[in-house]
Amino acid sequence: MWVWPALLLGVPLFGAIVIAIAPSRQAKWIALGVSAATFVYSVMLALVFGHWDDGGFGFEGSIPWPGLEKLGITLSLGADSVSMLLVLLTTLLMPLCVAGSFTAINERLKEYYGWLLAIEAAMIGVFIARDLIFFYVCFEFTLVPMYFLIAIWGSEGRARACTKFFLYTFTGSLIALAGLLYIAWQYQIGYGQWSFDIAALTVFAATELTASQQAWVLLALLAGFAVKVPLFPLHTWLPLAHTEAPTAASVVLASILLKLGTYGLYRFVLPMLPEAVVAYAPAIAVVSIIGILYAALICWVQDDIKRLIAYSSVSHLGFCVLGLFALNPLGVQGSVLYMLNHGLSTGALFFLVGMIYERYHTRDMTKLGGLSKRMPVWAFFMVFFVLSSVGLPGLNGFVGEFLCLVGAFTASADNAIYPGVLGPWYAAVAGVGMIFAAMYLLIMVGKVVFGPLIEPARGAAAHAIRLPADLTIREIGVLAPLAVLCLYIGLQPKPLTDAMEGSINGVLGAYPATVERHLAASHESASDLAVDLGVVVQQPREHEERLDG
Amino acid sequence: MVGAERDVIAAANIFSVLAGYAALVPEPSAPIPIAETAAGMGWAGWILWLPAISTVMCGLCAALRVKNKLPAWITVGLLGSSFLMTLALWLQYDQPVVIHLLDWIVLGGDRWTFIANFSLYVDSLTLLWMLFVTGLGTLIALYASEYMEADVRGGYARFFAGISVFLFAMTALVMADNLLMLYLGWEGVGFASYWLIGYYYRKPSAVAAAKKAFIVNRIGDLGLALAIYLIWHNFGTVEYRALFEALDSGSYSAEAGGWSIKAIPYLLMLGAFGKSAQIPLYVWLPDAMEGPTPVSALIHAATMVTAGVFLVARMYPVFLLEPASLTVVAWIGGLTALLAATIAMAQHDIKRIFAYSTISQLGYMFMGLGMLSSVGAAYHVFTHAFFKAVLFLTAGVVMHGFAGQVDLRKVSGLRHLPGFRITSFTMLYACACLAGVPLITNGFWSKDAIMAQAFISTGPGFRALGVIAIITAFLTAYYAFRVWFRVCAGPVHFEAGEEQPDDDHAPEHGEFRPHAPRLAVNLVLIVITIGAVGSIFLKGWAGERIEDSTAAYYSPLAQGAGFWEDPHHWMPWVASAVGLLGIAVAGYFHLVNRKAADGLKNAMLANPATRWLPTAMENKWYVDELYHLMFRGPLWLGGHILNLFDRYIIDMAIVDGVARVPRLLGRGFQPLSNGILQSYAVSMAGGVALLGILVFLMPQLVDWLSRWMGGAG
Repeated sequence: MWVWPALLLGVPLFGAIVIAIAPSRQAKWIALGVSAATFVYSVMLALVFGHWDDGGFGFEGSIPWPGLEKLGITLSLGADSVSMLLVLLTTLLMPLCVAGSFTAINERLKEYYGWLLAIEAAMIGVFIARDLIFFYVCFEFTLVPMYFLIAIWGSEGRARACTKFFLYTFTGSLIALAGLLYIAWQYQIGYGQWSFDIAALTVFAATELTASQQAWVLLALLAGFAVKVPLFPLHTWLPLAHTEAPTAASVVLASILLKLGTYGLYRFVLPMLPEAVVAYAPAIAVVSIIGILYAALICWVQDDIKRLIAYSSVSHLGFCVLGLFALNPLGVQGSVLYMLNHGLSTGALFFLVGMIYERYHTRDMTKLGGLSKRMPVWAFFMVFFVLSSVGLPGLNGFVGEFLCLVGAFTASADNAIYPGVLGPWYAAVAGVGMIFAAMYLLIMVGKVVFGPLIEPARGAAAHAIRLPADLTIREIGVLAPLAVLCLYIGLQPKPLTDAMEGSINGVLGAYPATVERHLAASHESASDLAVDLGVVVQQPREHEERLDG
Repeated sequence: MVGAERDVIAAANIFSVLAGYAALVPEPSAPIPIAETAAGMGWAGWILWLPAISTVMCGLCAALRVKNKLPAWITVGLLGSSFLMTLALWLQYDQPVVIHLLDWIVLGGDRWTFIANFSLYVDSLTLLWMLFVTGLGTLIALYASEYMEADVRGGYARFFAGISVFLFAMTALVMADNLLMLYLGWEGVGFASYWLIGYYYRKPSAVAAAKKAFIVNRIGDLGLALAIYLIWHNFGTVEYRALFEALDSGSYSAEAGGWSIKAIPYLLMLGAFGKSAQIPLYVWLPDAMEGPTPVSALIHAATMVTAGVFLVARMYPVFLLEPASLTVVAWIGGLTALLAATIAMAQHDIKRIFAYSTISQLGYMFMGLGMLSSVGAAYHVFTHAFFKAVLFLTAGVVMHGFAGQVDLRKVSGLRHLPGFRITSFTMLYACACLAGVPLITNGFWSKDAIMAQAFISTGPGFRALGVIAIITAFLTAYYAFRVWFRVCAGPVHFEAGEEQPDDDHAPEHGEFRPHAPRLAVNLVLIVITIGAVGSIFLKGWAGERIEDSTAAYYSPLAQGAGFWEDPHHWMPWVASAVGLLGIAVAGYFHLVNRKAADGLKNAMLANPATRWLPTAMENKWYVDELYHLMFRGPLWLGGHILNLFDRYIIDMAIVDGVARVPRLLGRGFQPLSNGILQSYAVSMAGGVALLGILVFLMPQLVDWLSRWMGGAG
């Protein structure tokens, strides 16, 4: 029944329309009500969702739209467990974003809350689209509200930031679209009819495309998704956009929009292009590791807290991509978990920085210090989410990071069950990022939260709306659900990992065989080369199947 | 036969009789069976949960701004209960057992699994550690209830929440049944130390020290994490039971497994050296003393730092796969012992001296482990916990009593002051233990076991290590009694410290009255000192605990049984001699003739040839500066360079450069694209147009292409 998933999109869109009509005094309350209703609705859907165990798709159906069928386009929807989790993350964060904007946004309220609800609909659309064109339209449409959110309500450098954000990601997405359409076109050549059905195209691409075709498509898709993630060196739009965006937009950007990139890798790149992925996984992993360390070192010397957290996203998502390209269940489970965890903890960190900015109108660490004296509750949450971000065991960040690394570590050629193309060195070098993360985050905490009190005069806005020194009940209400979830996932990741398992096994279905083929082929070609060169190659020792049983 | 002969000769030796170490003559036994989850033992989980509950309750007290001693009594009560339950568990213990509490990370299916639950692995090694962790933890909390009372209106609840979270993490570390839960505790104690060192968070030095402790520990943690990955990679499990069974089966060896097995002990070692403050990662512990409370110092020095020793003991079978790794452990331990002792001799801050002494004593423990005397090492952990606790607690009394004074040159004759008698005498006994005064101190017996082993075990340079250990024993005796003679003996004179943590105790003008300890502090001092005396007789008992566990390894025996052939016979005499000599030297320079010490130092400073020695020792051999130059400096510079590179090369030169190309091409449309929105609209329209073209013209395009290709073919 198509109505059920379509309502997930429909409710926020409808809310956006209501906001446009209603008086602007009520905009924030309508937005809060609608986004909360969407959250409740998504939780209800999650409760009746029948595919938590098996990785299948539920809530499938197409929104009937006359005239599209003859183009092969359908507005088909559906969600598997991973989509469902990401939808839940989105719907959970949106009411918090709305509530977190109550005092920060004081002008053009109707537009602001309207755009927030519009971007919610678009993001949900990305996660539950089962049609390529529909996916792409939603994927691109997220740019428009975000563009306006930054352009209108951003801080001083917003003009440059939003233009760069828009053009950069838009260009990338167009190239990705070309890659996706190429698959559809090949499908049309093969079967004589157009289809944009993701499931059909996935099977087609994985089995029918040659290795070199896959490689070109991979390159095209990476252009879109890697910009979005963002992967080094395509990340420079992100610190700029984050720094200039209003708080809620930063949260949406970090927590959900970046995940569109990793979700794209998960949903399209991994299942569609196994041959190319196996061939290029080491290169992509190296790039993500460079990104982890590079961004971490840059974090270390930032003075702008928001910029620091933005760069930390670049560093953190490097782990996420590394886990994906480990191509084994541990790594991918870690990676998907990382998407959720990063959404929770980094989102919260942006909220926290926003709360400081609202009070002091600065994000400059050299002008802030020892705020725990003034704002103990804020300090508690800051330290809590920093620890989650650092990956302290017992909190959520640890589980995802650990699994990503253990996945990459064991993805070596001699792994009997899930042979991979990475190996111990990848994890060992990436692991240095864990040390760096502790360094830059604790240095930030040491400066801003602890030490002697340094505070600039409180901003005019804070006086105008009379924000107290420490957090208000509303602000605690924004942070507390995230904190509870961080703790819960840290202690009980099992429900989540169990839920992901089926979907991940589906995505990874082709890999053990493909990797083995690839390894055998590369070994052969190495021996061929060696024979040509007149070198005697020693046969690698047979490794016993240690992991069995 | 050999045993009997040994006994006869041992009987001729007073030390052997008293030590009763005949009990340590090994009786090889079958591997210990490990029981499945024993029914009815689920209550043992409360040993772990009680500190967690205490954390939450203290946290609530902090949130509700409770301004009395309630948090202290909650903590003492719950930790005390945890200790009593540990005692109960020990009394009913008969064989190693796994107690499942909660699922945590459970992945995999039929072909592979990755299981790490909240489960307890209880064997005698666990129990030995748990007894002193929870026992000391309770006493520390009791001591802190009085020590921290000036903060009742401030961070009292926060402090006790920190102690509780520390004990929770330490319990998880010690009782874990898998390496991942151990890692949770491992990082957890690191976090707790961050919390406690940074307790006075307005003091920049405390914040910096807290940060340093966490980060240096993280370096070790990375080693531990990589070791866990390798263990899973090789053995397919991170659970002790399965791991030990796999190792018992004998189907794994370092030769067959290649580097991926050989590397495991070295990586584990890195983790252990981080947590237990050994070369090269010891630099955080002395700074942790910046953390203003001796209570947190104590927690680090007496309990947390033994985690590394525990890790090596727990993973002993893995280390034995690659015996060369144990040699490295022994050498690192020996060198650390010597280095830290030389630094301790030249420091003036009492807490720092004890911190370096802790590093040095931990070095002995690693030496013991590395030289296959796991019993000696574990016994030294046990005895050290007692006397080091007393030392830190008495240092705390001095600090508390003299408004933060920690300089041993500025307090003297404490034992003549009213109210400080118990402090002085417990400190005397603890110093004697540290110095290894023969017969009556526990440190003598435990250190002796390690030092003698150096002359028995065969390994590269173990004899040299033995000599290093003896030299270090001399230095240890010297610096231990340097503190006591300076602070507790001699003429009465004192200067108050500069810190005035609270206004209530602010001295009247010109007159400072020392603040003598009261009941809780004195009680704790006496109880722990009695414990230290008692532990003299527990060598056999501790030995049995180890022999019963996975750390069991029957230390090589001496080749002959004559007096000179068995180092266990002559080492006590040597150890006694160097210990007493050290005390005598300290007595001369710091009690009888204090001017001579200053004179000697000044003479050395005046002579250009010897000036470097006291300077380098006082400046901790410049290791911090070296690390700064080697690691932090380059990384910091790298961060700045990359930051500029990111901004100017990647972003401005490349990205903006590429973005300028279309603009240059589109010069003709300039009137249209003079605003942001226009350029946005143009690109959006362009995108939609491209989309439309691609979708709608695709069939034609395909047609055309296929015709063209057909024509070409």
